[in-house]
Amino acid sequence: MTRAQGSRDPTGQGRGATSTLSSISVVPGPSSADDSGELVVCEAADLLSGGRIEISGAVHFGVTVFNVDGELYALLNHCPHMGGPLCRGRIRPRVSSDAVGRWDFDREGEVVKCPFHNWEFDICSGQALHDSRLRVRRYPVEIRDGKVVVKLRKDGRKKL
Amino acid sequence: MSAVDTERRTSDKDLGSPKIAPYLVDCDLHHLWHQIDDIFPYLPRQYVQEIKDFGPMFPGGMWTNMPNNHGYRIDQDVDHETNFPSFTVTEHMDRYDFDVGILTGGDIYLITATTNLDYAAAICRAYNDWTLDHWVAEDDRFRMVLAIGPNDPIQAVEEIDRLGGHPAVVGVNLPAGGRHPYGNRMYHPIYEAAERHGLAMVTHFGGEGVGANNAPTAAGYPTYYLEMRMARPQIAQAHVASLICEGVFEKYKDLKWVFVEVDTWWIPGLLDHFDADWKALRDYTPWVKQLPSEYFRKHIRVGTQPLEQPAKREDLHRFFDQANAREVLVYASDFPHWDWDEPVATAATFPESIRDEIFGSNARQAFKL
Repeated sequence: MTRAQGSRDPTGQGRGATSTLSSISVVPGPSSADDSGELVVCEAADLLSGGRIEISGAVHFGVTVFNVDGELYALLNHCPHMGGPLCRGRIRPRVSSDAVGRWDFDREGEVVKCPFHNWEFDICSGQALHDSRLRVRRYPVEIRDGKVVVKLRKDGRKKL
Repeated sequence: MSAVDTERRTSDKDLGSPKIAPYLVDCDLHHLWHQIDDIFPYLPRQYVQEIKDFGPMFPGGMWTNMPNNHGYRIDQDVDHETNFPSFTVTEHMDRYDFDVGILTGGDIYLITATTNLDYAAAICRAYNDWTLDHWVAEDDRFRMVLAIGPNDPIQAVEEIDRLGGHPAVVGVNLPAGGRHPYGNRMYHPIYEAAERHGLAMVTHFGGEGVGANNAPTAAGYPTYYLEMRMARPQIAQAHVASLICEGVFEKYKDLKWVFVEVDTWWIPGLLDHFDADWKALRDYTPWVKQLPSEYFRKHIRVGTQPLEQPAKREDLHRFFDQANAREVLVYASDFPHWDWDEPVATAATFPESIRDEIFGSNARQAFKL
């Protein structure tokens, strides 16, 4: 497991007081998957609630596994807008309002904002918050034998 | 004016032309006074005396406009004896067979820039009463927008409550020049009153950069009239952005807003950019719950005049598509000013498929006609 370098952050969003990138662990993915298309990412104990871990190289653009309040979700690290590294963005609550000038916050830690243009996506569903027709690709992920396992391709497909 | 001119106009009228739309509405028909003395019977004695002593005390600027003829185009056959309402009926309403002409004022816009708010309110009350007695009474096809002094929302609301229920009153006039962008909540009581009476807000170019109002552009004061005219879309865009970001259409869900004489070319550019940025910044103004273009489509209409004049007609038609003209544009003539858009010639520039909406049904919906 290696630490991501600040210089890899194309936007600078990861630096400074609101830095998120430095807290993202990156694991190099395999050049090819095993027959099942599965990849063991890390020990489950290493991915704490509120954390995320990025798998580079396993699929083009990479995949990131998020731990949201004990539940794991895996998203393609590629914003459908302009291809930004979506999963390196700021993690936020959902912000709504019931009256002008008022902010309401819920679903803490369940929204990621792409560092390129700050589009918001629901980490749990991959759904864009501003457009019901837009989603980012999700991957199945689970804890098996104390390890985080992500399924990077559908059964029967050879390519990742 | 010569007899030849009169004959020519008469002849034009007799020739007639197919009606432009089944229900034809002009959203910008200026009703002018001969001089401010016309409203003296409706003004408090103190202000009549002050005007006699000092003149109208309307703030003014150095922007020249065009030489005119008692406020009318120089080809129009008027003089100081002309009955303007009757002239407007003959030369405009009858000639083109308008079903409704919305009187949007003219001389009144500058009063919104005065620092004496009681004077502004009194002038507006007098102007509204004079409009009802001398214009609306002339022809039942006339409707009017109320003049108000926006810098004193308390008196503005009183005036809307006083006359907002009159069947000829269809809107409230908030000229584009002001002290704040119009989403500012200082103005919200005005919008609440307008919505309560089922009136549209109407923002016509005017009053910018004079008196207590802001400069016409954020870059400062234009020098020339031509230059000043190019400021209009900037001002309109600032008001549109403000109205949407401040949640005016979330608070006043039935409110319609009609911008008049502020150009139209900016509509698609502003909305494309607005939508794109909203996707990134939505969580900072979460009360803006929809795409800005959706609020625009539901609540805002824009007068056609002055209509863009690109070299190629197909460019204009492409623009109509981009601007969603079918839903958002309303025909406005600007009669009797020099830069008006003559109805038949203007109609010919629109595809027939969207003409009924732009020349009638959009305005009927916005103004509840």
